[in-house]
Amino acid sequence: MIGIISTGIGNIRSVQCSLQRLGIACAVLSNPTQAAPCTGLILPGAGAAGAGMEVLQASGWDQLLQEWNRPLLGICLGMQLLFDTSEEADTACLGLIAGEVRKMPKVQIGWNQICETSNPKPQTSKNQSVYFINSYACFPSDASVITQTTTFASQQICAGVQSGNLWGVQWHPEKSGEFGNAYLLSFAQSCR
Amino acid sequence: MQIIPAIDVLDGSVVRLKQGQYDQVTTYESDPVLLAKKAEQEGAQCLHLVNLSGARQGGIDPAFLDLISRITSATNLRLQVGGGIRSLEDIQSLIEAGVQRCVIGSLFFTNQDVVRQAVDLYGSERFVIALDQRDGSVQINGWEEDTQVKLEEAIDQVIACGIRQILVTDISRDGMRTGPSLALYCMLVRQYPGLQVTASGGVRNQSDLDALCRAGSRAAVVGTAFLEGDVSLRGRLPVRIIPCLDVKDGRTVKGTSFQNLRDAGDPVELAKIYADQGADELVFLDIAATNESRKTMCDLVSQIADAINIPFTVGGGVQSAVDARMLLSAGADKISINSAAVKDPNLIDKIAATIGSTNLVVAIDVALSWFDSAHHDNADMIDNVSSRAESRDEYWRVLINGGTKGTDLDAIQWAQEAVERGAGELLITSFDRDGTGEGFDCKLLRSIKEKVNVPVIASGGAGSLQDFIDAAELGDADAVLAATVFHYGHLSIKQVKESLLEANTPVRL
Repeated sequence: MIGIISTGIGNIRSVQCSLQRLGIACAVLSNPTQAAPCTGLILPGAGAAGAGMEVLQASGWDQLLQEWNRPLLGICLGMQLLFDTSEEADTACLGLIAGEVRKMPKVQIGWNQICETSNPKPQTSKNQSVYFINSYACFPSDASVITQTTTFASQQICAGVQSGNLWGVQWHPEKSGEFGNAYLLSFAQSCR
Repeated sequence: MQIIPAIDVLDGSVVRLKQGQYDQVTTYESDPVLLAKKAEQEGAQCLHLVNLSGARQGGIDPAFLDLISRITSATNLRLQVGGGIRSLEDIQSLIEAGVQRCVIGSLFFTNQDVVRQAVDLYGSERFVIALDQRDGSVQINGWEEDTQVKLEEAIDQVIACGIRQILVTDISRDGMRTGPSLALYCMLVRQYPGLQVTASGGVRNQSDLDALCRAGSRAAVVGTAFLEGDVSLRGRLPVRIIPCLDVKDGRTVKGTSFQNLRDAGDPVELAKIYADQGADELVFLDIAATNESRKTMCDLVSQIADAINIPFTVGGGVQSAVDARMLLSAGADKISINSAAVKDPNLIDKIAATIGSTNLVVAIDVALSWFDSAHHDNADMIDNVSSRAESRDEYWRVLINGGTKGTDLDAIQWAQEAVERGAGELLITSFDRDGTGEGFDCKLLRSIKEKVNVPVIASGGAGSLQDFIDAAELGDADAVLAATVFHYGHLSIKQVKESLLEANTPVRL
């Protein structure tokens, strides 16, 4: 079963609906004690980094995630929170992946193509458009964790990362049609 | 503006000629197919392929046709191909090999009958006339022959053939990387508003592209700068096509200027159909917007979230951050607010702080001369507006309460204020055009786009395919919303996207 961490706001329900449509067992978790039976976790997110970290700290998720060694997928803000720090209100994040989160020159809302770097999961042959809605982007210290990139406002942006048990996407797989489904399925498979 | 990378192929290799001269060749160590794939990965949707061997010898050789089929099977790129097209058979073989657009140069000046026949057979959208000009007159045959035909005369001939697309190259700039001839493109766009002008030659970097875009060019072909990796091929994000579903009592409704409502079906079913048809996003507006309807809307939102995997925005009757949060928790991606924000601008700040700016759309209903409509309810304001409308040609005014009430707010100033307060996106509805099918108010859209740095969704007036192109190109809209044309099957999403692509506007396919 995949646990979806409830941060109180955002697209939790959409993530849950997507997994259910794909026949993936899942549950929305309101506190870390519920995580024990989960084979993987998803940290969704919309909203501000500061508010997101406060929710995680208040409920003790930050502690649990430090020790979590099964697969963990961060989506959008959830991915950003995996890094060391965010420029958004100068927030200290979870520090699970080395690097920082910086503001982009303008807001990206819409479908953009991603380009997969080596060893992507899932394997795809042609380019895919996925749905982004973000004004901050991740800058990993170690470029080898980057699995996907995209170009926005003439800049290359990190669109996806993978490092050990940690997965992260800046775009929304629960809102990105067939390719989003394939990505979620691939994550679910790694949770077995 | 679409950025089209060019690959010039000579004897199977990728090359660049300096000012069209075969003895000034730079050969690039790359396979044309791999380069095409790279272009696609970098964001290109269309590839400009030049058959230099064909141009030199005349005719299309089998090796080149084979290259085309290898590119079409390796990528989703749309191909426009030029060089060596000398006969109807050449055109036929290219189109059969998978070429979307044939770029016709010399043939147009040596045998226009063939071009006319080809237009009759395959349709004018399949053809681009390449006008390579030096000092105002058109050059052909690899720029070795001066036709003595003035550029303007040539363009008149193109129009007479029914062709709407021209690719204009300033020979003196090509391969020289001195910057494009901005004055030339500016002049062409002004003089021939009905033509799609693709600029070619001289682009060095991003700022050259930005300048061409400002000059009104619909597309730019980029050769050396692409090969050298000096420009990003991704112009703008794909323009989103958004069907809008007005909902009342759990059913979809839409009528002219928000009146004479007709029933167009079950919102969840419609949502699924649109998602399958390739809609990029959906908008649901609760037009009843009462306290009771908000509950119904929440249930509906959660059913929609169950059914579709594309983003959707919900609006209508959102009065507080609590309402916004409730709809978001039910599964909406973005929340739209309208009248409530006009009445209490602080609401924008509050909702943005709660759900984040990127999830907040501020919708603005606008009328240019609303006193012409039958919806006014304030006689004093009519006088007020008409005096101001006389003193100012265009004065866009904000309407509230579903367009039934005018306000004193200037739409453009309000748009700016909304963004400053935290709107992540604007949904601009021209009340004058809404439900009329007369086209979007592109002037209004562009005026707002020039003042804000968030995406703008165009709404109100969709009737024809051209209206969508105009909203995206003339209005510079990031997304285009429509209801009637989609609900009643006048246009399909696929048709709209294909016609945008024809017009060199990027879309998600």
